[in-house]
Amino acid sequence: MSYLSSEDDVAPLLYCERPEWQDVTPISQYEAVSSPIAPIFYTPEYKDATNYFRGVVKTGETSERVLELTERIIRMNPAHYSAWQYRYRTLLATNAPLDVELKLMDQIAAHNMKTYQVWHHRRLLITQLTSASLAKDPVDTATAELEFIGNVLALDTKNYHTWSYRQWLLAHFDDAGLWLGELPYVDDLLLEDVRNNSAWHHRYFVVFGRGSRSQATPAEEGEVLQREIRYVKDKISVAPNNPSAWNYLRGILEYSNTPFSTLLPFTEPYTRAYVQPTDDVVDLDNPKPSSDATLPCVAALDFLAEAYVRAGGDGVGKAVELWKQLANEHDTMRKKYWEYRIKEALEGKTN
Amino acid sequence: MTSNRELHIPLHVKYIQALGDSKDDLMYHLTAHLRLNAIYWGLTALTIMGHKNALNRDEMIEFVMSCWDDEAGGFGPHPDHDAHVHATLSAIQILIMQDALDRVDVDRVTKFILSLQQPSGVFAGDKYGELDTRFLYCAVNALSLLGRLHELDTEKTVDYIRLCRNFDGGFGAVIGAESHAAQVCVCTASLAILDRLDVIDQQTLAWWLAERQLPNGGFNGRPEKLEDVCYSYWVLSALAILKKVSWIDAEKLTAFILSAEDLEQGGIADRPGDQPDVFHTHFGIAGLSLLGFPGLGDLDPVYCMPAKLIEARGLTKDWQGLPRRALGL
Repeated sequence: MSYLSSEDDVAPLLYCERPEWQDVTPISQYEAVSSPIAPIFYTPEYKDATNYFRGVVKTGETSERVLELTERIIRMNPAHYSAWQYRYRTLLATNAPLDVELKLMDQIAAHNMKTYQVWHHRRLLITQLTSASLAKDPVDTATAELEFIGNVLALDTKNYHTWSYRQWLLAHFDDAGLWLGELPYVDDLLLEDVRNNSAWHHRYFVVFGRGSRSQATPAEEGEVLQREIRYVKDKISVAPNNPSAWNYLRGILEYSNTPFSTLLPFTEPYTRAYVQPTDDVVDLDNPKPSSDATLPCVAALDFLAEAYVRAGGDGVGKAVELWKQLANEHDTMRKKYWEYRIKEALEGKTN
Repeated sequence: MTSNRELHIPLHVKYIQALGDSKDDLMYHLTAHLRLNAIYWGLTALTIMGHKNALNRDEMIEFVMSCWDDEAGGFGPHPDHDAHVHATLSAIQILIMQDALDRVDVDRVTKFILSLQQPSGVFAGDKYGELDTRFLYCAVNALSLLGRLHELDTEKTVDYIRLCRNFDGGFGAVIGAESHAAQVCVCTASLAILDRLDVIDQQTLAWWLAERQLPNGGFNGRPEKLEDVCYSYWVLSALAILKKVSWIDAEKLTAFILSAEDLEQGGIADRPGDQPDVFHTHFGIAGLSLLGFPGLGDLDPVYCMPAKLIEARGLTKDWQGLPRRALGL
C-alpha cells in the first residue's frame, strides 16, 4: 500500500507547505545550490523532501508519516541509500505489514532495477518475513519472489544485482523443490538467448554449486553429469561460437574430474573448416554443428588442443599444431597466449 | 575519419579542471554520492598525465576533510553523507597524492574499516550493509596504505575470496555470483596485497581476461556483453598483476581507448561517440599507462595509484605492464 496520497505526476504540496509537518525542523544540504536545470527529480520537491528527511533523522522519528516521506524520496531518487535504510527501520518500529511493503516494492522496482538498494531492501524484508516469529509458508513467499525476479529479468536478462539476489534467495530458503524449479527456468532463458552468460552461470550454481544435493548418491551424481553434458553439447551444436557454453562444459568436466578426451568425438567436427556432408547422420551423443555455423569454431580448437595436451604423448604435438593455427589464423588477437602455450608444452611443463 | 593516434592531454586536463565548475549541471547533483571518488579519479588521471597541479591542492584537501564523518570515524563521499569504505579509500588516496596523509586520524579510520568486516570475511560498504568484494578491496587497499594491514584477519579475508572463485576461474561480487571483470580486478589486487596470488588459477584466469577483448579492440566485462573503456583498466590491471598483459592485442586496445576521446570538450567516454565522464577518463588513461603509452607516468595496478608513491611506501608488488614507449614513436 502506498502511503502517498496522490500519484507521482500530480504535483503534491511541499512538506514545508503542509501544516501537519510544521513540528519538524527541515535541515538543508551542505552546499548552497543555485538554480539547476530541472532534471527529473532534482527539483524543489526533492530538495524539500530531503530537507524534511534530514529533520526527522535528527530527531529520530519513526512513524507512518516517515513512511510517506521516505517513499516519496526513493521514488525520486532510488540511489538515496539512507532513505531506504531509515524506511526499513521505520517499518520495523511501526510494525508495518512487511508483505504489503513487498508488494509496494514490486511497483517501485519496475522503474529502478539497476539500483542496488532496491534489492537490498527486499533482502531485508524477506529475511524478516521468514524469521521464526513471522513465518507464513516460506516456500510460498519464495515462489512469489522468484516470480517477481523473473519478471524483472525478462526486461534485463543479465542484470548483475538481480541475478545475485536470485542466488541469495535460493540459498536462503534452500528448498529442494525451488532448486529443481530453476532448471526449466534457465532452459527457457537459454532458448531465448543461448549466449546469456548469467543464465549459464546460474545453471552451474544450481546444479553443481550451492544447489547441488549433498545427499546425492554417486549414481545420481553420474546421471546429473551426463544429463548436463548432453545439454551443453546440444546448445553448442545450435550455436558453436558461444564462449559461455564451452566455459560451462570445461567447468563441469573439471568439477567431475572427467577427462577432456572423452569429448574428442563430439569436438572434432567443430574444428573443421566446414560442415561435412556425412555429418547429416544424426548422432544423439555427438550433435553436429548446425549447417549455418561459422567454422572452424575457435573455442572448439582451443578445447581440442587442451584435450590433446592433457592426454600427453603425441597429443602434445597435436596440441601445438592447433595452437599454431589459432595464433596465426583463427585467433590472432591472442597470438601471444597461444605462443605461450606452445612454448610451455615444448618445454615439457605440465599444467 | 582519420584514426586518432594521439592522447590529447591538454584537452583532458581542461576537461577535469572544468568539472568542479559545473555546479549547475544535472550530473553534478545526481552524482553527489560519488563526489569524493570522482575527485580521486580526476586527480589520479591528472597525475599520470603529468599535470597534478591543475587542481588546487589546498581546496582539495579541505574538501576531503569536509567529508569526514566524525560519528563513524570514516569519510563519506560528500559532506553530510555517511562514511563509506569506498569514499574512505578515495580520501586516503587523494591525501597521499597531495602529501597530506597526516590529516587523517589513522586509528579511527582503521577501526571504522575493520568494523565493516563480516563473519564470513567479506566487507560491507557502510552501516547499511551492501556486501561486495569491491568493498573488501577498498578495505585491504586502505589498510595497506595506512600501514595497518597487520590488524586484518588475513585468513578470513582470503578464504572469502577463494569461495568467490567460479568454475571459469573468475571471481564475482559475493559467493555464488557470476564472474565479472571488475570483481576479478578487485579480488586479484586484494590477493596481491595479501601476498596470496596462490588462490588464483593464474593461467585460466589470465586466459579468461584475454578473452574479454572483442574484435573492435575494446574489452567487455563478461562474455557476450558490450565493450566499455573502463574494462581497459579492470582487465589490464589484473593481467598486469598476473604478468600477462602481452596476451592481449595492445595496439587494438590503444586504438579503441583513443577512439573514445571527446575531441571537443575533452575527456574519455565509455565507448566512441558517447558523452565523456571523469570515471571513464581516469580508467582509459590508467589503461593506456599500463599499455606503455608514451608521455604518461607509471600507474601501480595493485593500488591504482601513481607507481612512484607506492614505491616510496615500500608497497610495490611483483607486477608488469608493457614497457613505456618513447614519445615520437
